[in-house]
Amino acid sequence: MTKERTQVADVDRSLYDFTKSEEGYERYADGLTPDIVRAISAKKDEPQWMLDLRLKALDEYHRRPMATNWGPSIAGLDLDHISTYVSPKTKQASSWDDVPADIKDTFERLGIPEAERESLAGVGAQYDSEIVYHNMREEVAKQGVVYTTIEDALHDPTWEPVVHEYFGTLIPMTDHKFAALHYAVWSGGSFVYVPAGVSLDYPLQSYFRLNAQGAGQFEHTLIIVEPGANLHFIEGCSAPKYYEANLHAGAVELFVKDGARLRYSTIENWSKNMYNLNTKHATVGADAKMEWVSGSFGSHVSYLYPTTILAGDRSSCEFTGITFSGATQDLDTGCKVILNGRDTTASVSTKSISKDGGINTFRSSVVVGRHADNARCTVSCQSLMLDNISRSDTIPAMDVRNPSASVGHEATIGRISDDTILYLMSRGCSEQEARTLVVNGFANPVSKELPMEYAVEMNNLIKLEMEGAIG
Amino acid sequence: MADENATVVLDRVNEPPAQTWNRLRANDITLTVPKISRKGDVYFALPQLFSHIECGMGEKVTSWVTSQAADARYVEVPAHTVREEPIVVAVDTDKGEVADTGVMVRAGATVSIVVAAGGRNAGSTTSASLLRVVAEEGAHVTITEVVGVGSSQQHLESVGVDADDDARIEVRQYALGGGTVAFGTAVSLSGDRARANIGLRYFADGKDRLDVNHVVRQRGKNTIAHVRENGILDDAAEKALRATIDLVHGARGSKGDEAENVLVFGDDVVNKTVPVILCDEDDVQGNHGATIGTVGPEQMDYLADRGLSRKDAEALFVRALFEDAIINAPEAHAHDVAVRQAERVLGAQVAHDFDASAQLAEGEEA
Amino acid sequence: MADTLLDVSGISAGTEDKPILHGVDLKVGAGETHVLMGPNGAGKSTLGHVIMGDPTYKVTSGTITFDGQDITELSPDKRSLAGIFLSYQAPVEVPGVPLYSFLRSISQMRPELKCTAREFRRRVGAIADELNLDQSFLMRELNVGFSGGEKKKIEMLQLLLLQPKLAILDETDSGLDVDALATVSHGIQRYRETVGGALIMITHNTRILERLTVDRTHVMVKGHLVAEGPASLIDDIDKNGFERFGSQAAGEGDAR
Repeated sequence: MTKERTQVADVDRSLYDFTKSEEGYERYADGLTPDIVRAISAKKDEPQWMLDLRLKALDEYHRRPMATNWGPSIAGLDLDHISTYVSPKTKQASSWDDVPADIKDTFERLGIPEAERESLAGVGAQYDSEIVYHNMREEVAKQGVVYTTIEDALHDPTWEPVVHEYFGTLIPMTDHKFAALHYAVWSGGSFVYVPAGVSLDYPLQSYFRLNAQGAGQFEHTLIIVEPGANLHFIEGCSAPKYYEANLHAGAVELFVKDGARLRYSTIENWSKNMYNLNTKHATVGADAKMEWVSGSFGSHVSYLYPTTILAGDRSSCEFTGITFSGATQDLDTGCKVILNGRDTTASVSTKSISKDGGINTFRSSVVVGRHADNARCTVSCQSLMLDNISRSDTIPAMDVRNPSASVGHEATIGRISDDTILYLMSRGCSEQEARTLVVNGFANPVSKELPMEYAVEMNNLIKLEMEGAIG
Repeated sequence: MADENATVVLDRVNEPPAQTWNRLRANDITLTVPKISRKGDVYFALPQLFSHIECGMGEKVTSWVTSQAADARYVEVPAHTVREEPIVVAVDTDKGEVADTGVMVRAGATVSIVVAAGGRNAGSTTSASLLRVVAEEGAHVTITEVVGVGSSQQHLESVGVDADDDARIEVRQYALGGGTVAFGTAVSLSGDRARANIGLRYFADGKDRLDVNHVVRQRGKNTIAHVRENGILDDAAEKALRATIDLVHGARGSKGDEAENVLVFGDDVVNKTVPVILCDEDDVQGNHGATIGTVGPEQMDYLADRGLSRKDAEALFVRALFEDAIINAPEAHAHDVAVRQAERVLGAQVAHDFDASAQLAEGEEA
Repeated sequence: MADTLLDVSGISAGTEDKPILHGVDLKVGAGETHVLMGPNGAGKSTLGHVIMGDPTYKVTSGTITFDGQDITELSPDKRSLAGIFLSYQAPVEVPGVPLYSFLRSISQMRPELKCTAREFRRRVGAIADELNLDQSFLMRELNVGFSGGEKKKIEMLQLLLLQPKLAILDETDSGLDVDALATVSHGIQRYRETVGGALIMITHNTRILERLTVDRTHVMVKGHLVAEGPASLIDDIDKNGFERFGSQAAGEGDAR
């Protein structure tokens, strides 16, 4: 019998798993010294305050121990052998034609310019440590929207004070050891400013690609959405597979002002030698709304817990996430919500899938402060076990300090029932198809929150993971 | 004589198998307890197999209790017998008593074990009970713990149970307030089809501090664990509850569920809840839930229609909790502890009113 | 009898710890309508599931031949593609999978049903109308949050869409209100008229059979087929119940 392939079947790993030579690239020595930090800063021709901040962070990084009771081990990560700065020999381009051929080829294979033409308001692409391409639709720029790199913003007298005012204020360098590391060696990322009342019809997108081997990517994303404005920002990440550990320690600081709305979507498909120790914080003003959509598929080890501070009264946040952990992966993901304003609401819905020995840990914290009268928060967490060599742990924490608050949490762990498989098989699906169908359905609440092409990409990733199954 | 001022600090007490962010300060509790200074004395100790039992409050508390308690008490319930009289561990908290008890329940035997810890709040004391139970194949064990101590007192309540094939473990806990009360309970469902039901009801007000650690390890095939915590927090009470369902590799066909329901009445309450499911097996079902809040608007509307103010409604819930403790206290010591705490919280009149109705109900049954 | 479509021969089957079916023989000709009756727990549903290939039940002896092919060892999906359809007593909920895309996938798997998206849309729409199903149902998740009656209608929708050679309807009439029962029974009639496929009705309820021409009736008691007869056997059972078959089952090792 010939098996009909459905349209999403035509995916193969080579889409992500290809590498480019880094010959001729500027690559700084491995390890971490004040000299390297000074060199990065000098190369970027930064203001003195930024260099000071970097050096202070480096100090903090060396001083700080790792927590001993944390989930996945990061023993495989040897910071003395991670290059913190690798730059392709190119200037940032705003026309796709000016991007060097090998990098262009990389992003074209990942479908980046295509996506831009179709449905995006602007695109940025980072290759290793530097942004290589940035462009935004003219009509968006005319509304006063700024979408550039932090480096460029620092060189612009209009924006340098703004960066200075916000940079590093939401994620303190003392947050954890890798936040300190980030501030010492950060490079690349985005600066986005949406003026009050401006609503973008299309998303802005950043794509991050780490090509170099044994290197780190430390991009910093700073987004300010002024009162009443509305933005959807998408980030995608991928890297080819090496045996040497790579490190991603980015930082994302999101300022959502009164009455504004920000949706931040991420599809992360780092290769399975990546330590993804990323930090994302958002602060949300009165009547404002923060929405997170997060799909985590890649990396060897992840620590990822986007944090939302509902500071303003009646502010709200929604977190929708899925994590798929396959062979060799140990992914510790979840989120944190701090409800400080009155009448704030938060809703968290996460899914995880464990397979082929993969480990998933869902971790969350919900903190309701003393003054958060009538705060409402619900957390729902579902975990799917696809075999008996994998693992799934659920570790939520709640700290409630206001008697008028209402906090609910529910979690379930289980496998696909035999009845479901049988029902689908009795309608003609093979066992494999039935399982893929159920897993896609399980992921559907997340994928339907994503723009079309990303939803398709996510389904492809799931399909890819499911086909890798033995038996 | 022991030097009463000498103390020792026990850290990482009630630490669950998996932890959350340290900065939430919900991972464990640190307790300062009297130091043992009876060096050189030899006490009766439990048979060594009890030392392999995981206890809810952790190793440090176990070794402190075993060195602090004078003689350990060992009770054996012979196979296929029903022990009519409960095994009672009565801890007078005023005297800072520390009890170390080991119970061996042989195959098919049935027994009820009662721990009653309370006093009249005479003196700032530390008391403790460590109870370790081996439940052989098909044994039925009911453990009832009623703890209510004075606001300047501290009590450590640690339990460890190991359950073999088809054993059934019922744990009913009443934490009825006190300065610092810590409950740690670990049940290992080691045998196939072993079952555990754990129910905790708690009340804390004033500046009471309650710390709970529930751990159920599901190791055998087709085991069932059912854990329920229901409590009320008033004034500036602080509570931390960790509840872990651990579905160990090989526990095929097992089901574990846990749920906590907290009513928060006081403006200065701190409530921390960390419900954890660890799952290393696919053919299992794990669920947990938690709801934290005050009396729901619908309930409140209904009660208001019956003439109750919010304060009245809250009192109703508190009263129901103490009533339940008094009615379900299986013997005199536990009953006394529950009534004494009810008197303290609700006043003598109310406490005796429903104590009388409880006796009436018993009379009807008989 | 028409050409034999299904031949269940000497089937014994059960779960790991419990035998349920004992040497069951059942022949169904192409296009015939058979009724399988019997008291609760007789093994009727088990027989339906064994014909479908449910791995919950192990076949310990006997063979099942369908359309000239020995299918005893085939997995349920292969049997489905060969033309067997089992309507579930309690259809399973599959969250996140929209009914419409599920229907599209299962019909595209069958070469004889492949068609353009436009044609498919029309086909499904027509069947939905036939079954008084609001088109908005098609966008909902498969069986999730559907009432008992709606789930049964969705089963009928799949039956009419897949056009199997043999449909086994397991208590499709149970727990339905009068309107849903009328719709489902209309669906069954449409299947008989438009597809002309064979039918095995597993039921307690004789009302749903009123509008069908029944070829043969079988009675199962305690895992044995204890009686077989014409349509009139239904009326007999309706009046006298199953009691008189009970002793037969206990006495005979082999049914009939």
